[in-house]
Amino acid sequence: MKHVKTLNTCMLKNTLKKGGCGECQTSCQSACKTSCTVANQSCENK
Amino acid sequence: MIHKFSMNGVNVVMDVISGAVHVVDEIVYDIVDSYEEMCEEALVVKFADKYSEKAVREACEEIKELKDAGMLFVEDDYTNVLDMVGKRAPVVKALCLHIAHDCNLKCKYCFAEEGEYHGHRSLMSAEVGKKAIDFIIKSSGSRRNLEVDFFGGEPLMNFDVVKEIVEYAREEEVKYGKNFRFTITTNGILLNDEIQEYINKNMHNVVISLDGRKEVNDRMRPRAGGQGSYDVIVPKFQKLAESRNQTDYYIRGTFTRQNLDFSKDVLHMADLGFKQISVEPVVGQEYEEYAIREEDLPAIYEEYERLACELYERHKEGGEKDFNFFHFMIDLSGGPCVAKRLVGCGSGTEYLAVTPEGDLYPCHQFVGLDEFKMGTVFTGLEREDIRENFESCNVYAKEDCKNCWCRFYCSGGCAANAHQLNGSIFKPYKIACDLQKKRVECAIMIKAKQFQEEC
Repeated sequence: MKHVKTLNTCMLKNTLKKGGCGECQTSCQSACKTSCTVANQSCENK
Repeated sequence: MIHKFSMNGVNVVMDVISGAVHVVDEIVYDIVDSYEEMCEEALVVKFADKYSEKAVREACEEIKELKDAGMLFVEDDYTNVLDMVGKRAPVVKALCLHIAHDCNLKCKYCFAEEGEYHGHRSLMSAEVGKKAIDFIIKSSGSRRNLEVDFFGGEPLMNFDVVKEIVEYAREEEVKYGKNFRFTITTNGILLNDEIQEYINKNMHNVVISLDGRKEVNDRMRPRAGGQGSYDVIVPKFQKLAESRNQTDYYIRGTFTRQNLDFSKDVLHMADLGFKQISVEPVVGQEYEEYAIREEDLPAIYEEYERLACELYERHKEGGEKDFNFFHFMIDLSGGPCVAKRLVGCGSGTEYLAVTPEGDLYPCHQFVGLDEFKMGTVFTGLEREDIRENFESCNVYAKEDCKNCWCRFYCSGGCAANAHQLNGSIFKPYKIACDLQKKRVECAIMIKAKQFQEEC
């Protein structure tokens, strides 16, 4: 494409197939303790 | 639904539902908002002063291609994921153990009221700690990975009990096929070589507290006698970070209205040699002089942008000056699943806090609020209504979240902040939302710049 470059190929929708196992880290436990940040976490079910 | 922004010379268009992120040129950036409402002919006319007909048609063609590929203007059908999440048996997989409701610092913004949590000073006994381990094993169903954070007050004021709990958990995890990951949060005053060695051997993660520059840190984080803490803790923290090979820790600070130039504090910590840094806005009622106000937002946005641009440059150069900033880290390709993004941190359901007496609360920030006491480690959960209320608190249950572009990045924000500022876990704290959105944009800008370099 000339006008658009797409940054990420693995999309949120795809996570529906494997999602919801719950083995991932609790968001608040890692480094914040006062705010909820989820998008920077990793999936444990790769 | 799309969201677009322009920062540091890049134009970004995000498709909220699919999670796709596009770096676009000026023409696509301009017309993408109108694309769904106007036909191509009308767009050619609308933008005739700025772009040629050929260019507009070309841009429309590319937008259409993305739409057809499910990467733009995707319809939201995630509400059905909630059924899937709702059908999971309730489990507890993380505990925050309040090892000590006592502290050797008197931080002015402490949500624990300088360590005491609306109650009297107290230390957790080994008995309560072991009961908490039994409780999480019993409540965790088939989950293998369990997290326990030693929190306070200041947990090093009761470190022998920490050791006893860790030892007990290591014995029990083998019996029950679990894997405990321990974290400890400390202000560093009591840190010494022996404790450091123990932490490195047993703790998956360490959170160490420093607000940045000496004058900033010492103003908000004085010792009990009023003197500053910076000079005592910084050398210990530097040593600890090095001994962990600069990974699996965070040096965590809080910025307030009194240091809105907080990028200097982040960079100060980076220049002290720390590589894993997390600095966040204080949460407080508006009458507190340190609390962030609505009018401060433009200055904070600028500060975040300044920090993001600097971080991008340091990533690019690599080497000694490079570092990670927790709130600009984002995983666009392997991040958490939709189910996780809908329900967020899991407070009150998967994540609970335990007081020194063994009482259970939805998270560390609810501790001491009687109406949120959910049971004890001895009796188990007794207030199913509280658990259900937190379980139902997903992004689609919040008016302010269900149509917000940021909902899959913040997952609805912090329930404790919402309760504290708005009296309801379903009503997010707007200032935190505004800042979170800015941080997500900064994080994506960095990724977009890096991506452009690779192309």
